[in-house]
Amino acid sequence: MITAERKPLSEFKEMIAPYRKVLVVGCGSCVAECAAGGEKEVGLLASALRMDARTEGRDLEIKEMTLDRQCVYEFIDQLTEFIDQYDVVLSLGCGAGVQAVAEVFPRAIIVPALNTTFVGETKEAGLWVENCRGCGDCKLGFFAAVCPITGCAKGLFNGPCGGSQDGKCEVDSDTPCAWQLIITRLEESGRMNLLDKVYPPADWSKQQGRGPRKIVREDQKI
Amino acid sequence: MKEESRLKNVLQGGHFAVTAECGPPKGADPKAIQKKGKMLKAFVDSVNVTDNQTGVVRLSSLAACALLLKDGLDPVLQMVTRDRNRIALQSDILGASALGIRNILCLSGDHQSFGNQPQAKGVFDIDSMQLIQLVRQMRDKGVILGGERLTEPPHLFVGAVENPFADPFSYRVLRLEKKVAAGAEFIQTQCVYNIVRFKEWIEQAGDCGIPEKVYILGGVTPLKSTRMAEYMSKQVAGMDVPDEIIKRMKSVPADKQREEGIRIAVETIQALKGMKGIHGVHIMAIEWEDVVPQLVEEAGLAPRPTV
Amino acid sequence: MDQKSAGLKITIFFCQRIDADQDAHRRPLEKELGSQIRFFPLPCSGRIEPLHLLRALESGADKVYVVTCAEGACRYREGNIRAKKRLAYAQGLIEEIGLAKDHLELIHVLAGTTTTIAQLAEELLAREAFVGPLPVDVPGQERQQRQL
Repeated sequence: MITAERKPLSEFKEMIAPYRKVLVVGCGSCVAECAAGGEKEVGLLASALRMDARTEGRDLEIKEMTLDRQCVYEFIDQLTEFIDQYDVVLSLGCGAGVQAVAEVFPRAIIVPALNTTFVGETKEAGLWVENCRGCGDCKLGFFAAVCPITGCAKGLFNGPCGGSQDGKCEVDSDTPCAWQLIITRLEESGRMNLLDKVYPPADWSKQQGRGPRKIVREDQKI
Repeated sequence: MKEESRLKNVLQGGHFAVTAECGPPKGADPKAIQKKGKMLKAFVDSVNVTDNQTGVVRLSSLAACALLLKDGLDPVLQMVTRDRNRIALQSDILGASALGIRNILCLSGDHQSFGNQPQAKGVFDIDSMQLIQLVRQMRDKGVILGGERLTEPPHLFVGAVENPFADPFSYRVLRLEKKVAAGAEFIQTQCVYNIVRFKEWIEQAGDCGIPEKVYILGGVTPLKSTRMAEYMSKQVAGMDVPDEIIKRMKSVPADKQREEGIRIAVETIQALKGMKGIHGVHIMAIEWEDVVPQLVEEAGLAPRPTV
Repeated sequence: MDQKSAGLKITIFFCQRIDADQDAHRRPLEKELGSQIRFFPLPCSGRIEPLHLLRALESGADKVYVVTCAEGACRYREGNIRAKKRLAYAQGLIEEIGLAKDHLELIHVLAGTTTTIAQLAEELLAREAFVGPLPVDVPGQERQQRQL
């Protein structure tokens, strides 16, 4: 999923301070999974903002809403009924959601409440770890399903580097050395031959794009 | 202009080579490098110039090598893939050759988070293995990545590094083999304190016939103090400093520790001289380059041969 | 040689609006040709999914037609446009496994014509067999030796 974390309140309080009516919109997908922007988090934040307003003697009316997905028009459309009644939208969606909403309602003022971070997995309750960098050219089959771009701090395709120690990365001793893991897995499955050849330089244009990348599927178009 | 690599000539001539590392200054003054070069000249075959080592901004390796060249030294251009993309790397390879630099050492480089620019974007467009392959392809086939022809190929003796003490130990010899297959012509290793373990590694390499395919220079770094020994042992990843070494350093008073460090270094160099499969020594006396002449002399490696 | 004589197995997905009485009209042909022909009426050709086309091939069809109303004449406006795009997507996929894209074909009924599904089917069967049997075994079925 796409992971995110709630921004410290100080980062967006000022942006919404001038407004009396705030529409707080969450998303039930990725950000709900990483406990940053789902229905619960919308409720939490709204409660905190209301109490904050009371302590400062400010008037504040909040409507709480959570869309199934904040990045899809059909769900964003559910806001149409309410959005004009509010001065500002505080979005607990990931960056994709915030912008998608802004595109549907270009005259609305939309403030992000989250810092969108990475694509990753839920390793255990309360722990999310990055595991994909969206390179657009998945090579996991060559590296025993360990991404060398994401897992290795130096993005080596022919690692490990000389700093790998006890299965840990030299940059952070809490971080496993991705190359140690790749080698262990390949050794255990008898596929070390996959490392015989020098893996060639990546095509980074697939990740970098020329500006925002896009996917077009004619067969999916209506 | 096509001068030769002195390092290559020394190694091909069957001599035990001596190279030393030289750290450029954190400033724009060329004199710092020139001074180090002049001091090292008679005692080494070639001088490596580090490339923003540890991610700390220093005078560029390329410029420093050009300065050393002017004073008649044979520099080894260290090139990391951390800071430059393939366009810049290939360009600098051509530039180095055009300036008369004849040796290149290909590395990935320390991660940028270690240096004084931790907010910098680490490039890592290609890795050290791919860089080795690339320089060889530019030199031997006269083409860049993608196949376009060069008007003049670079003339460079290609080297790489290997750390026998990093994990996974079982893969280190295979990785060395891979670097040779990628095109490495000489290897400089991480500095050796654990001679026993190093010998194990070179013997394994010997079993695979590697020393016949590539020149291997063992790394040596003289210890300045017990604190340095302990720091290297605990804080530097991929470093093996045996307890006996630390004990030795501890056993002498503070004002004698440098001497002891030098003694250990000389012993290490002599051990390397006697090891089958080792073709030279690479002395990394960072910020202590002026100890190199003493090390070379006491190890019986001076004067350097004429090639 | 025409497709009927070549013994090719034909599957026809078609828009029901082409023939109001399609149910009755196709029975005699189904009886005559048996397993050589299969009809799938659709409320609109736009309901076709690449999955239907792949499954049709997988279960033994050598040639799959998707018959749509004339361009511009779709009752639901873009149904036939969608059908065209989805067929193209399915063609791309079968080409990736080395099958000729012509095993799948889109047919637009000409504007203004009236035809029965049986007449249409006969016309298609009478066409030259440009593409041969699908070179994919169907488990459990006898492999027919067919000559073009």
